Amino acid sequence: MSEQPTAATAGGDTAGAIVAATDLRRRYGEGEAAVDALDGVTTAFERGGFAAIMGPSGSGKSTLMHLLAGLDRPTGGSVRLDGVELAGLDDGKLTQLRRDKLGFVFQFFNLLPVLTAEENIVLPLSIAGRKPDREWLEQLISIVGLGDRRDHRPAELSGGQQQRVAVARALVARPAVVFADEPTGNLDSRSSEEVLELLRRSVDEFGQTVVMVTHEAHAAAYADRLVVLRDGRVAHDGAAGDEGDVLELMKAVG
Amino acid sequence: MTAVALKGLAARKLRALSTILAVLLGVALVAGTYILTDTINRSFDDIFTTALEGTDVVVTPREVVSQEGSEPPPFSEALLARVERVPGVEKAEGGIFSLVRITDAKGEPLGQGFAPQFAVSAASAPFEALTYVEGRAPRTASEAALDESNAEQAGIAIGDRVGVVGEGPLKLFRVVGLNRLGDTSTGGSSTVTLTLPEAQRIAGKAGELDQIAIAAADGVSPDELERRVAAVLPPTVQAETGQQNAERLTDEIASDLGFLRTALLVFAGIALVVGGFQIFNTFSITVAQRVREFGLLRTLGASRGQVLRVVLLEALLIGLLGAALGLLAGFGFAAGINALFEASGIDLPNTGLVFETRTLIVSLALGIGVTLVAAVTPALRATRVSPMAALLAAALPERRRSGRVLLAVATLLGLGGLAMLLAGLFGGGSAGQAAGLMGAGSAAILFAASLLSPRLVRPLAAVAGWPLERLRGLTGRLARENAMRKPGRTAVTSAALMIGLALVVFVTVFAAGLNKSIASAIDTIFQNDITVQSTDGFSPIPSTIARDVAGVEGVGDVGSIRFSFAKVGDAAGQQRVAGVDPTTIGGVFDFEFVEGSDATLRELTPSAALVDDGYAESNGIAVGDTVALLTPTGERPRFEVIGTIDDQTDFLGSFVIDQAAMASDFGEERDTYVLVGVAPGADAAAVEQRVKRLVDDRYPSAEALDQEELKRSQEQQINGLLNLIYALLALAVVVSIFGIVNTLALSIHERTRELGMLRAVGMTRRQVRRMIRYEAVITALIGALLGTALGVLFAALISRPLADEGFELAYPVGTLLVILALAALAGVVAAIGPARRASRLDVLEALSYE
Repeated sequence: MSEQPTAATAGGDTAGAIVAATDLRRRYGEGEAAVDALDGVTTAFERGGFAAIMGPSGSGKSTLMHLLAGLDRPTGGSVRLDGVELAGLDDGKLTQLRRDKLGFVFQFFNLLPVLTAEENIVLPLSIAGRKPDREWLEQLISIVGLGDRRDHRPAELSGGQQQRVAVARALVARPAVVFADEPTGNLDSRSSEEVLELLRRSVDEFGQTVVMVTHEAHAAAYADRLVVLRDGRVAHDGAAGDEGDVLELMKAVG
Repeated sequence: MTAVALKGLAARKLRALSTILAVLLGVALVAGTYILTDTINRSFDDIFTTALEGTDVVVTPREVVSQEGSEPPPFSEALLARVERVPGVEKAEGGIFSLVRITDAKGEPLGQGFAPQFAVSAASAPFEALTYVEGRAPRTASEAALDESNAEQAGIAIGDRVGVVGEGPLKLFRVVGLNRLGDTSTGGSSTVTLTLPEAQRIAGKAGELDQIAIAAADGVSPDELERRVAAVLPPTVQAETGQQNAERLTDEIASDLGFLRTALLVFAGIALVVGGFQIFNTFSITVAQRVREFGLLRTLGASRGQVLRVVLLEALLIGLLGAALGLLAGFGFAAGINALFEASGIDLPNTGLVFETRTLIVSLALGIGVTLVAAVTPALRATRVSPMAALLAAALPERRRSGRVLLAVATLLGLGGLAMLLAGLFGGGSAGQAAGLMGAGSAAILFAASLLSPRLVRPLAAVAGWPLERLRGLTGRLARENAMRKPGRTAVTSAALMIGLALVVFVTVFAAGLNKSIASAIDTIFQNDITVQSTDGFSPIPSTIARDVAGVEGVGDVGSIRFSFAKVGDAAGQQRVAGVDPTTIGGVFDFEFVEGSDATLRELTPSAALVDDGYAESNGIAVGDTVALLTPTGERPRFEVIGTIDDQTDFLGSFVIDQAAMASDFGEERDTYVLVGVAPGADAAAVEQRVKRLVDDRYPSAEALDQEELKRSQEQQINGLLNLIYALLALAVVVSIFGIVNTLALSIHERTRELGMLRAVGMTRRQVRRMIRYEAVITALIGALLGTALGVLFAALISRPLADEGFELAYPVGTLLVILALAALAGVVAAIGPARRASRLDVLEALSYE
């Protein structure tokens, strides 16, 4: 890979980014009832960074993440992920791309109830028919603090533990990007902190790239960079700062 | 509330449709059975009524002993003169109506093997019921008329030749007329019309008659004439008015068909029970999925009763629709079953389809009844939903029934079923009682197994899923786990398949045992090299065959076996009696004496008998006793028991007597089997060829078979019946496959988000399809494994008392493996739709699905 690690870039410069959107548009419905969820978004996320996407309800933040992750198809513009243009890919290729290059943490329902914690962690590898790297797996399990619970099923774990398993699952294949969609939306504050801490550590210690959609200023403060959307457009793109900074910024754009 | 039920149904069209199918198929078979049998009865009624139109009174032999399909023996022609002298008789005419085989000019049999063919004597006015479409009635011994439809099928025209085989070698006749009976089709059965003397000769009834038709003089009523005629008749002959006779014959056909009707209704019942399982499952799942809806209704003030009515109304609608559509499909089934019989060579006559009110009532009642009964438990569970459920995503209160109670109920039911089964087998009640007990017992065992099956789902899923997990890794693993997730649901789904497959396996194992037993019996008791029998395998053949075959170069011992029936004392039912020639039979047949030896055969005089040891034992008959028999001709001969034999596979029957006694006392002179030995030193293959040629040339109604061919011909008969049973059981299996489809679709629906997540983290569509397919395969295999185990158990139990008859159980492992493979395939087929739907889920929608 020839991309250069760059500092947080303002929108427009997509060279050297691991995932980049150019003039990205997504329209739902047709005619009078059409809604532009994304109305020309250009942004990029560099390798090894932790970015938060915020914005009020209906601002298009989830849509942006879905498009960046190849879960949805844009009606205009393009997404490049780790050097691959997503526009031309069929469902099979997109699935493979998600499997090999992306990690996901959702707000709810991350785990298969029939599998143990460890089996859930290695799920993306099992789907791909690959063997996990034992050393890395052991390291992950100890980092997420599930050493003695690895053989438990999700129903036997607390919400926070379940979400930590989900983070470990997102990291297990060392993906190009981890997308986290409101990962703390369903957790108490202590568990939230543990999960955010985990994501932070993955960036700092393993050089993982993380893109997180959230509506909590507290969560966004864990990120290096903050992109704020409003009405389908980028309203702010810059350093995240602490919780106070984020709140102020939100007030300013809101 | 009605609107809620209607909307609920409309919102789940697909599910409603497949639930309706569960009812539809069973009802269709019930309706089809009634329509089919009613139609057959009606058409025979038409045939008999038409045939007796010009006849006021008819004289026929009385059936003293029922002979299982065989005609009662004819009476002497001398009676005709006596009847003619009865005052009030305007005209009386003797007639012949006898089973024969009709062939073309080359001796090739016309029509299908199983369709009956008759020789009838030409009658004069007013008795003649046949109308000549072309030509005229036969007038000389070399002339014949043929029924129009068969002549047409065989391409025979006036002037052509046809052959007829009755009691004697093939004789050719010139066709001088084509006729038909009224407007009805005789459904594949064909008749050849001959002059009376020729018909008597062909039928081996010289000087004898099958019936006398009588026309009354003016002013004498048929009833009055019937009384006067009856007064001059011996007790073995009866007089009836034409109408009485037609009614009796129709009733006889109806009671023969009663067996067919009962058998088909049993299969319909099986399909309905299986359908009930499916309805129960579907309603259980939908009620569970609608907890919030019911909670909301309760919050808004709906009473428990109203919630109950919403669910039951939906069931009522499904039952009604299923029954109504089933009724329609029943018409199709009636036609389809007719085609099925035709394919197996049993051609049944029919006119238009007959639809009785009873068919409508029974079909609707069964369809709606089964649906409502199956939906009651789920509906009651729906009433237990608390209003809070609307606010919380609460699950349905789990069934309270404790595992221990369930286990106790299932155990009791299973043991009770086993007891009934054994009581039926060994209790010694009448055949009907025994069959009833055995049926009820088997049903109870099947229900017990269904109740227990939730406990068996885990271990069985582990067994069935193991190879999949080994071969396919994650998708196999997930499929197995998903199948075990709701053991109750999987259990009910697979139990439906279990019932069908248990019966399939039972008949398969039983038939295999039957085939094996017959083959080994042929090996032990048939000491001959060649057997001559009717091409249908059981009808009598001309007695001249034995004589002719004995004259073939290189033929050694020739013995023959004939059969008749007798009543013993006051005992109900009749016993089969075999007639042999004691001087020749010893060389070609091994009697397996229990008491006595081959030397005993020399003492088999016309007043002596051998008795089957099983029959002797259960009726307290010992060697030296004398038994009195009532024969079909009304004679009451007495026989001294001189020995007992072990009658393998109930081949001979209860008694063996001398053929001389069988001719004089039973009026039976036709052989059923001619057993031919090759003379020592002769070339067996060449002798076999010569015997075959003789039989082929002169007796087209018979065939000569070597031992291997004989075994195969027996096997074919059994397998033909087996295929018919398979076809009917397939219905229950199809219903249970719909059950798998339904359960799978509902479970996938519940797992939408899970599927979305799997797709998001990289599971391909193909992997999703595979996972669901495997889940269906595992569910199907659970049912198949349980069904196979139960089927083998039933076969083993039921064959126990038959062991005395020489029944040997055989396990057709290859066939059983094929059945398992087909069950797995059924799973694959059932998964097609649900798997496709699951793989096409939109990932984002699935993820945000509630």
